[in-house]
Amino acid sequence: MTAVSHAAPSEISVRRPEAERMGFFTDTTVCIGCKACEVACKQWNDLPADGSQFRRGGSYDHTGELGASTWRHVRFVELLEPSPVQRAEAAAALARGEGGAVPHIPAAALADAGGGVTDDELPDLVALAQDGAGNGAAAGTVDVAAAVADMSRWVFMSDVCKHCTNAGCMDACPTGALIRTEFETVVLQQDVCNGCGYCVPSCPFGVVDRDHRDGRAAKCTLCYDRLQDGLEPACAKACPTDSIQFGAYDELVDVAQRRVAALQDRGLDGAYLYGAGDAPGEEIAGGLGAFFLLTEPPERYGLPAEADSPIQENVVPATVAAVGAGLAAAAAVALAFRAPQRGPVAGGALTVAAVAAGALEVVRDVRDGQRRRQRRREAGRRASERSSKDRA
Amino acid sequence: MSKTDDHHAVDPGAAGGVRDRDMDPAHRDASARNAEASRAQERERGEAARGGVRDMTPALGTPGGPAGWRRAAAGAAVALHQRAWRDARWSDIFHRDSRYAGDAPADPERVAAANRRGRGGEPPAQVQGPMMKAPVWTWEVPLYFWFGGMAAGASFVGLACDLAGDERSARIARRVALGALMPSPPLLIMDLGRPERFYNMLRIFKPRSPMSMGSWCLTAFGGLGAAAVGADLLGRRREAKALGAANAVVGGYLGSYTGVLLASTAVPVWSRSKLLLGPIFVSTATLTGAAATRLVLVATGTPYGHPTRQALVRVESGAMAAELLLSEINHHHLGRLASVLEAGEGARWFSRAKWLARLGLALRLGRRRGLGVWADHVVGVIFMAAALCFRFAWVRAGRSSAHDDEAVALNHRGRATRGEPEHEMEPDQRH
Repeated sequence: MTAVSHAAPSEISVRRPEAERMGFFTDTTVCIGCKACEVACKQWNDLPADGSQFRRGGSYDHTGELGASTWRHVRFVELLEPSPVQRAEAAAALARGEGGAVPHIPAAALADAGGGVTDDELPDLVALAQDGAGNGAAAGTVDVAAAVADMSRWVFMSDVCKHCTNAGCMDACPTGALIRTEFETVVLQQDVCNGCGYCVPSCPFGVVDRDHRDGRAAKCTLCYDRLQDGLEPACAKACPTDSIQFGAYDELVDVAQRRVAALQDRGLDGAYLYGAGDAPGEEIAGGLGAFFLLTEPPERYGLPAEADSPIQENVVPATVAAVGAGLAAAAAVALAFRAPQRGPVAGGALTVAAVAAGALEVVRDVRDGQRRRQRRREAGRRASERSSKDRA
Repeated sequence: MSKTDDHHAVDPGAAGGVRDRDMDPAHRDASARNAEASRAQERERGEAARGGVRDMTPALGTPGGPAGWRRAAAGAAVALHQRAWRDARWSDIFHRDSRYAGDAPADPERVAAANRRGRGGEPPAQVQGPMMKAPVWTWEVPLYFWFGGMAAGASFVGLACDLAGDERSARIARRVALGALMPSPPLLIMDLGRPERFYNMLRIFKPRSPMSMGSWCLTAFGGLGAAAVGADLLGRRREAKALGAANAVVGGYLGSYTGVLLASTAVPVWSRSKLLLGPIFVSTATLTGAAATRLVLVATGTPYGHPTRQALVRVESGAMAAELLLSEINHHHLGRLASVLEAGEGARWFSRAKWLARLGLALRLGRRRGLGVWADHVVGVIFMAAALCFRFAWVRAGRSSAHDDEAVALNHRGRATRGEPEHEMEPDQRH
């Protein structure tokens, strides 16, 4: 049985009887990575450009991450790097003289391209085709079907603030700048925020960020201003494939569930919803106002497999432990004054206890160092084995 | 680009063809140098784009203020306005006759099972980060933790002195508490993105947010502390005692809430230390409060061998023992997540803190073997420096932990700390 999530009525700051929960359903299976949503968002919300830069690791994603001036981010998930299994199979085929080549993907060749990709770092595709990874027998063989299959493993996901039912940022905010609106979205009031930065590490999805020039935090508002005028948010409006769908939350969940069922009927067994349609007790952050249809494990999109408002998870046990310790410390200090003056004995015992604790740590430090060095050696050995295997 | 020319200059033979070029080591060196140079150039360009003057002027209004527009007719609908967001239904996908989704209602059980499969199971071999944002706090925050802790610890000492009947020391401890608190508000305000709006911290009272509670606690502590010192100055001994005692209770939260504040974030190394971070911070607070008060007592002429001085030495040793022991237990429990306490910036601060603590303890043992009185004073200073390093260590380790994408991912899967199933991941090379 699944339930449709809604925020606690006491959390809603703006009352309007006819308003209902609105949200985004972002379907990654129809996203083409055009970034129209990013541009529309920047235009409507007057957000400055961030400059663009290809990052280390050969990804074509030059937006990088959500931030104070990037409220939509089309994440490129390039699954082009051949898996160890694919590598092993290809190497075995070569050894048997069946032709082919150890998969060699240009994107992977860019892995060391420091701060950016320059002309001379682009791999020589002609040489690659002629050379076939050093194997003359495979020269000129390009498996078109495999290349096309690889393209389908390049997926896009238009990431955005999740407008959680249990919103970590809103729980953390000490000024009340972050509020829940009548549409059950989470909006940051720019005229209240004083830039304390507590919402930044409190978001388990890494959405909200503090702008280092402006000084305040900023994030997606689900186009609160447009919603009040009966217009759909700018990103959803601009999306040419309707990968981003906007609507009443309950309707969206219904559409999304039918979409998952349709995809599974067509054989895409890996399709699932991230943030909606979960069984009670299994929701992410109580259910996400902006949820996604994904086909890969969440970590491939930089999303946590499970998440909740960190404050709702931790603040009560942590406070009980901390305040208990605080009062215990006050009592212990008073006791230290009350302790019978037995000369150096009491103080000596405590010093010895502290020295013992320090010694314990020295032992642990040494052991940890040994373990780390061993792990490094093993990793180095594994890497050299892998590269020698590839060469073979 | 000039790099083609360089190729010729360094190695004229390189023009011979692709194969020759690949074989020639001199050419390979030159092109590696070229690649390095162009990378550096590219990095510079990227930094200039980020660090240069950025136009933050919005199209309407001023940054942070509402835009200066008005509707032509009050209450009128804007252009393209559609009731109930019908504009969202213009696309084809929402038409029921597309093959986008089935017409029949989906079985919720089936979708829930698909979600369980998609999110459960084995974590992938690679994470494509960034998973979360690291805290933006700078040096002001750990320094505030140190001062705030010192104030809380001194308030404990004040209460203890009063209970033990040493009124002079109690008066001094209350002044130390107020003095240590003084730098705290400026430090916290400096760390804000919009310092001129600091008063918004007291705009609401929000028990759920440790930072809101901390702001109120700091206000209450400052008020009580100032009132207690004022009562001392006016010679009202009973009122001063009562206010000092109340301040020690408030100090119990002031010294510990910072641990709660860090533990209530999504940062793995903080949130998984939730039960011990508060107690660890209280130990540091007690240590610094006792050491600061003792040094001030010595400076104001409390004689050697005075029972309060002896008691404070005991408090310092006990607090240091508690600090080291709790850190050790916590470290053991963290398992995989403790890597940021072992390597990186946080680890460097930790190792400084621990070596200072060990040095102080060794001196204290030496003091009992006949070193001069000065050793006790030096130990007090060393312990306070160690406490400062502990504060920096915890804050800096949090930043490394948030940047560790594998740790964040595994933490959410419940596979990070000791006792949880281990999982090896390939490091992400993307940043």
